[in-house]
Amino acid sequence: MAELNQIDLQALTRGDKRTWDAFVLAAAPLINAVVRRTLTSYRVGEDDVMDAAQDVFVRLCAQDFRLLKTYDPARAGLPTWLSVVARSCAIDHMRRRRQATEPIDDVPEAFLGVEDRHVEKLKIPEGLLTARQVLILKYLYDEERDVVEVARLLSVDAQTIRSTHHKALLRLRAHFREDDPGDGG
Amino acid sequence: MSTERRTPRSDKELWRSLASRPEGVPAAVSEMDLAAWLDGRLSEEAAAPIEAAVAADPVLRRAALDLADILGKPLPPAPGRMVVRARALVDFEVAREASGGGPFGKWLSGLRLFAGPRPALRQGVMAVAAVVVATGGFMVGGGLGESLAQQRDDYSATESAYVKTTASNEVSAFFAGDGI
Repeated sequence: MAELNQIDLQALTRGDKRTWDAFVLAAAPLINAVVRRTLTSYRVGEDDVMDAAQDVFVRLCAQDFRLLKTYDPARAGLPTWLSVVARSCAIDHMRRRRQATEPIDDVPEAFLGVEDRHVEKLKIPEGLLTARQVLILKYLYDEERDVVEVARLLSVDAQTIRSTHHKALLRLRAHFREDDPGDGG
Repeated sequence: MSTERRTPRSDKELWRSLASRPEGVPAAVSEMDLAAWLDGRLSEEAAAPIEAAVAADPVLRRAALDLADILGKPLPPAPGRMVVRARALVDFEVAREASGGGPFGKWLSGLRLFAGPRPALRQGVMAVAAVVVATGGFMVGGGLGESLAQQRDDYSATESAYVKTTASNEVSAFFAGDGI
């Protein structure tokens, strides 16, 4: 990914062939990895992975590199932004493919089913928990993710996640008086 | 006063017991905002709406973890075919056209029918244009009838030459057969 950060973005968005070739070489491993991971649940073959990856590159250079020109290096690293774009493209690719060709019987049931939002939705008084506290509780309890995994995502150490989790639960318990013996039940 | 005491629920049970109440539709997150958040470049205030949106959308939550995982480790090389196909999207010709191009190229660009990197389409249109020009020139130059007449003349000349050559060969064979 180091090479990716060394790409001359101005030359790239001007359509310079050599810069495009260097960019493709540097970006392909990342785009390949993101597309494969994104399409894992779709049970697709190698050709679909290739086509979806090609869609990412097409989208990047389409209309005189319009999408690439929207990338702002001051806001995010190029690899991170590319990974987000690649994921979106891969999902779009599969949506188009399914709309165009796939009989409904071949679609995995998980994609047809309406998600049970009932379980996902919360009604915690506004302002009781911060957005980060909610996110951490979702990851730990709804997704059953490991503290270390969440810490890596949020670029903090595991202890910070544990501490944030602990404070969030204290607030919730205080609000709903879960542990209060005087509550009487 | 009741002597019963509520059994304290585990943290997970408490959280899940709260998970049955409605909340608002998650806000859309732009690709740039999500990337900035994944990179940890947002202030707490700027990150809050992104985190709220990610928290509200299970697909986005999984995506965020997946991307963080991929970005945090060395990656295997991409298949060569992927690199070759992607490189072909931008060719030297396109790069030249982007920096100027001939009058016909500029006219095509002016039509805005071929915006974007579609070298195959562009080359196809150029080929069709070449065929039209060639056909026009051919018709102006006398058309198919004259061409056929010319071809027929050429064929007659070739055929008479062939007959002469055959006769000549027969004479040679005759002398050769006699050992001359």
